[in-house]
Amino acid sequence: MLENQDPATLKYVGKGALRAEGVEKMTGQAVYASDMVMPGMLYAQVKKSPHARAKILGIDVSKAEALPGVRAVLVGSELDYRLGLYVVDKDILAKGEVRHYGEAVAAVAADTLEIAKAAVDLIEVKYEVLPPILNHMDALKKDAPLVHPDLGTYDFVKAAFTPVPGTNIANLTKLRKGDVEKGFAESEWIIEREYTNPSVQHVPMETHVAIVQWKTGDDVTIWTSAQSPFTVRSLFCYAFKLPLNKVRVVIPHVGGGFGGKAGIHIEPLVACLSRKAGGAPVKFQATREEEFSLLPCRSALTYRIKTGVRSDGKIVAQKMSMYWDAGAYADYAVNVTRASGYSGAGPYEIPNAWLDAYTIYTNKPYGTAYRGFGHVEFFWGLERHMELVAQAIGMDSLEFRRKNALRPGSVTLTGEVISENSGNVLKCINEAAASIGYGSLSADEKAREKETGRKIGKGIAALHKAPAMPPFTATAVIIRMNSDGTVLVNLALTEIGQGSVTAYSQIVAERLKFRLDQVKVTVEKDTDRDPYDWQTVASKGIILTGNACILACDDLLKGAYETAGQILRAQSCDLDHDDTRVFVRHHPEQGVTFASIAVGYAYPDGNAIGGPLIGVGRYVAQGLSNLDKETGQGYPALDWTYGAHGIVVEVDPATGEFRILKIASIFDVGKAINPDLVRGQCIGGMVQGLGTAVCEGYIYDQEGHLLNPSFTDNKIPTSKDIPDEIDCAVVETPQLDGPYGARGVGEHPMISVAPALGNAIQHAVGAELLHMPIRAEDVWRAMRNSGPIDNWITKTPSGSCRSDPAARRHDPDHAITP
Amino acid sequence: MTRISLTVNGKRYERDVAENRTLLRFLREDLGLIGTKEGCGAGECGACTVLFDGLTVNSCMVLAVEADGRAVETIEGEAKDGKLSDLQEAFQKHHAVQCGFCTPGMIMSTRELLHRTPKPTVAEIKEGIEGNFCRCTGYQQIVEAVLDVSGQLEKKGELRHA
Amino acid sequence: MLHGFRYAAPRSRSELLDLLAEHGDHAKVLAGGTDLLVNIRGGNMKPGLVIDVKRVEGYGGLAWDPAEGLSLLPAATINDVLRDKRVRANFPLLAVCAQDLASYQIRNRATVIGNVVNASPCSDMAPALLCLGARAEIASARGSRSVLFSEFFTGVKKTVLAKDEILERIVVPASAAGTKGEYRKLKRINGHDLGIVGVAIARKNGSLRIAVSSAAPTPVLVAGLPGTASVDEAVAAVLAAVSPISDVRCTKEYRLFMIETFVRRLMEEMK
Repeated sequence: MLENQDPATLKYVGKGALRAEGVEKMTGQAVYASDMVMPGMLYAQVKKSPHARAKILGIDVSKAEALPGVRAVLVGSELDYRLGLYVVDKDILAKGEVRHYGEAVAAVAADTLEIAKAAVDLIEVKYEVLPPILNHMDALKKDAPLVHPDLGTYDFVKAAFTPVPGTNIANLTKLRKGDVEKGFAESEWIIEREYTNPSVQHVPMETHVAIVQWKTGDDVTIWTSAQSPFTVRSLFCYAFKLPLNKVRVVIPHVGGGFGGKAGIHIEPLVACLSRKAGGAPVKFQATREEEFSLLPCRSALTYRIKTGVRSDGKIVAQKMSMYWDAGAYADYAVNVTRASGYSGAGPYEIPNAWLDAYTIYTNKPYGTAYRGFGHVEFFWGLERHMELVAQAIGMDSLEFRRKNALRPGSVTLTGEVISENSGNVLKCINEAAASIGYGSLSADEKAREKETGRKIGKGIAALHKAPAMPPFTATAVIIRMNSDGTVLVNLALTEIGQGSVTAYSQIVAERLKFRLDQVKVTVEKDTDRDPYDWQTVASKGIILTGNACILACDDLLKGAYETAGQILRAQSCDLDHDDTRVFVRHHPEQGVTFASIAVGYAYPDGNAIGGPLIGVGRYVAQGLSNLDKETGQGYPALDWTYGAHGIVVEVDPATGEFRILKIASIFDVGKAINPDLVRGQCIGGMVQGLGTAVCEGYIYDQEGHLLNPSFTDNKIPTSKDIPDEIDCAVVETPQLDGPYGARGVGEHPMISVAPALGNAIQHAVGAELLHMPIRAEDVWRAMRNSGPIDNWITKTPSGSCRSDPAARRHDPDHAITP
Repeated sequence: MTRISLTVNGKRYERDVAENRTLLRFLREDLGLIGTKEGCGAGECGACTVLFDGLTVNSCMVLAVEADGRAVETIEGEAKDGKLSDLQEAFQKHHAVQCGFCTPGMIMSTRELLHRTPKPTVAEIKEGIEGNFCRCTGYQQIVEAVLDVSGQLEKKGELRHA
Repeated sequence: MLHGFRYAAPRSRSELLDLLAEHGDHAKVLAGGTDLLVNIRGGNMKPGLVIDVKRVEGYGGLAWDPAEGLSLLPAATINDVLRDKRVRANFPLLAVCAQDLASYQIRNRATVIGNVVNASPCSDMAPALLCLGARAEIASARGSRSVLFSEFFTGVKKTVLAKDEILERIVVPASAAGTKGEYRKLKRINGHDLGIVGVAIARKNGSLRIAVSSAAPTPVLVAGLPGTASVDEAVAAVLAAVSPISDVRCTKEYRLFMIETFVRRLMEEMK
């Protein structure tokens, strides 16, 4: 909506407003859940499984309970509640069997952190260790042990998911378009490859933390570092069978989320501890090591793609098989599978497509949402595949992408017809190519190659993503006017660093024609105070909440005009306003101030009219539908944001070491509401994508112990790891149902960074990489055509030549050190 | 417990502390200076960076008892008289902050960097904040903020409209 | 969170040595703390007593004696080494290795002595000290002794130090002043990381010394090569001395390849 507004008339939208909550953060005064302390608060610690799969034969908590200062000890057998976003498969504490390394088996609340830790160490758990099923491809085999033998009895969301009882398949998503076999028959070339990537960790700088108080009478308050207050509340109430008005969720500043804090995680366990401790508030904060295995990660993926291409380079058939490693619980992985399924061919038109996407249980820490929601993972395979197919048919890969890219009139995998307003992937690809000088080396680059002996290569990868959300996703915004004419905006889209508070302030100021400093969007979220929002996920916030902001502004102004109209004896159609007054359009000197009508207008004699001005905006996604379970056909996409990355890389042809000289990242955002914030998302997401691309990934031994649950051996990019040159640009093809034409871009910058790098490396030294992350050694091996490194479920003895034997204990209650 | 006496942001404190208490927990839990954050507890991420006798340290890797007689500076001392410092202003101007959790430590590291190198090169800036993980910004805007506050930024980093 | 321990900060050497004599079997020496506190937090070390040596009189910083050489004392941090002009002038290899150790704020705290006493095979300072022929001056209430670094490391995280002993001074001999040196370290990222392998080469007066980290249970020194040794001879000598393994950081094959590559490249660069 408002997509055609002349940019010259816009005062705030499209401009770089400063971050609204920046000063608080800059001074250290912003309060995060990890900073909060409640009166009488207890501290929790968790006993975790050292095994990937084991029967719990017995838990002795007597010594822990006897420790002075311990106020509650919990084990799974006391708790008869099950959790699950889409498949209800997870106990709050493991019962009967542990299903992954690091899983919670018992918990303690005590007066101090030290006492709680000591008590956890005193809990004795007897296990019968069972052989774990670790590799998700093995878990599909007929005789594989079952991670969830009772899968057939679990509740699940039937409209969207299909678990297969008696197997390790938590969900199977199918997609059928055209006739894939006929397409292959028409193909000149058929190319099939398989691409893989391991699980990774989100690494928000603030680890998961919650304080919960379960008061007498089942009044529960949850203060938590989470992305989605209403989802925490609804899943919590579902598990404990409580009415929604008994549970209040409060979210202060959040130190990063990236999807890892969507859904519900530690809150139910902490709540049970509070209840058992007699209603005292209890706090639990994960250590960095716990963040890796007590809390969820991103799923690993094996993606097999078979592509049929006509002699002119047009793809005519594609058969895709996605094997997602859910880990021990389905959580978000089933929906990652669904969302990746319907966009798994990328921004390309495939007339005949066939896709099966499996979510597979294994005995590993479980997967959840992570920025990109599956797209970072499958685009690794897809965009490497586009490169390798182009190479195989002897066509330039950029030309091959252009030839097959979606354009107005193209039909997506689910049968949606792309229009002029869907966004322009071709332009993104072309801009990325132009920015890096794709296709040749400049004189400077040639000179550099000569001087250094290293090879320079350039690669492109495209991307798209639509929000993965229910078709009926809704939100609301409430704007209240204060008696001085300033406004307070309540909405439940959580500020987790993306800058939503600032962007919504700009939209509200723009639509109200107010000054930015008159608008305050609250940072803290509170389900008792704020109107409903589904979740802070999926890059859907700018469209849904942005629209609701505009509608709430209009509603507020309608009320203001009604009151002003009475005072001014004018119809609303003859009124106009500025940032301080409502006035008669043709007699501007006749007006009333907002301040005088904000909480009701009083005439000189004391008579009053109006009442407090409040605007309500409600918005629900329009025109979306569930997908047919057999064919995947339907309308899943609120919007498609397209983009492309271009990378210039310099590779040492002997060692495989590489350096990224430049990256160009281009996205069709419809309208950049705040270009500085968009740039922040572009660069931040791109660097997070680089982490996935070059150095991050879970490594297990054969017993399923996680070998790198800390920054010692799970590196993330530092300031020295960013590309030497960064070009961020936007294309603006207005989204008709987006606020001022905008569409979401929170997740997209992370997608396709890895394949752009892989493609650039291939251009430089010919290495054919099929696995990410891409480490120097992977490039070295690929250049020599030697096999991949055996170290995602490694046969290498755990520990290292540098490790103290004590560090090989695999005890998740203790850190592993260099 | 051991009695320690130190100054934090120029203010004098005397406290009894447990020998195993880290400086980080002492600042946050005993003095209520919550601006300093814990990101890993193992000296890897830099969220807990403070100045210790003028030099940056990871306060999770320092015992509170070691601070006896020392001067500690934290983020709470950076803004003066209700006004952001020039460095904080530059962070705000260049959007060098997103979730804000690494920001206090990041500002302490850049504060010391600018003290020892008033006009750092891009390479020196990157080297200076290498020990401070930021998962949100991708570091580029932080580099730009430091270039700007040291009077070296040629052109503000901008989103290009293609 | 750290388990409970007592803390002592002796002011004199004799007080320190007495403490070590009495409590050495359950005490740990604290200098920079960047390894010790990580180990305590992880539960790998549970000392009953932590002895902070930074307040011992005469234990601070670096000292230079034209006859004896450079002394690195227990409180000398990595950044103290980097800031010292005498180090850069006389022993540039020390500075090159120090520059690659962890992050800036860790270097403000970590000490050279702590780095070698920790005895990790991936120590960044060990290659420099080995190449420069440095020695460890070790003291206890029983007396003092001097050990060359080539004899100092005995295994993964193990040294010749007895429980009542302290490494109270590293001496880099004056005779090594002017040694040309370079260090190359393979990391997983450009930012701070442990060495996956590290190779240091030092040349002076017709002698060639090569030290390698992360390639065996201890840092490895290849000494006794003539200055005239060819690249192939140097490579052969180094490969004969190392025994890397595969682990979560790297495979054995790539470690061997990178050690060879670093030796070849450094030999070419330092011709």
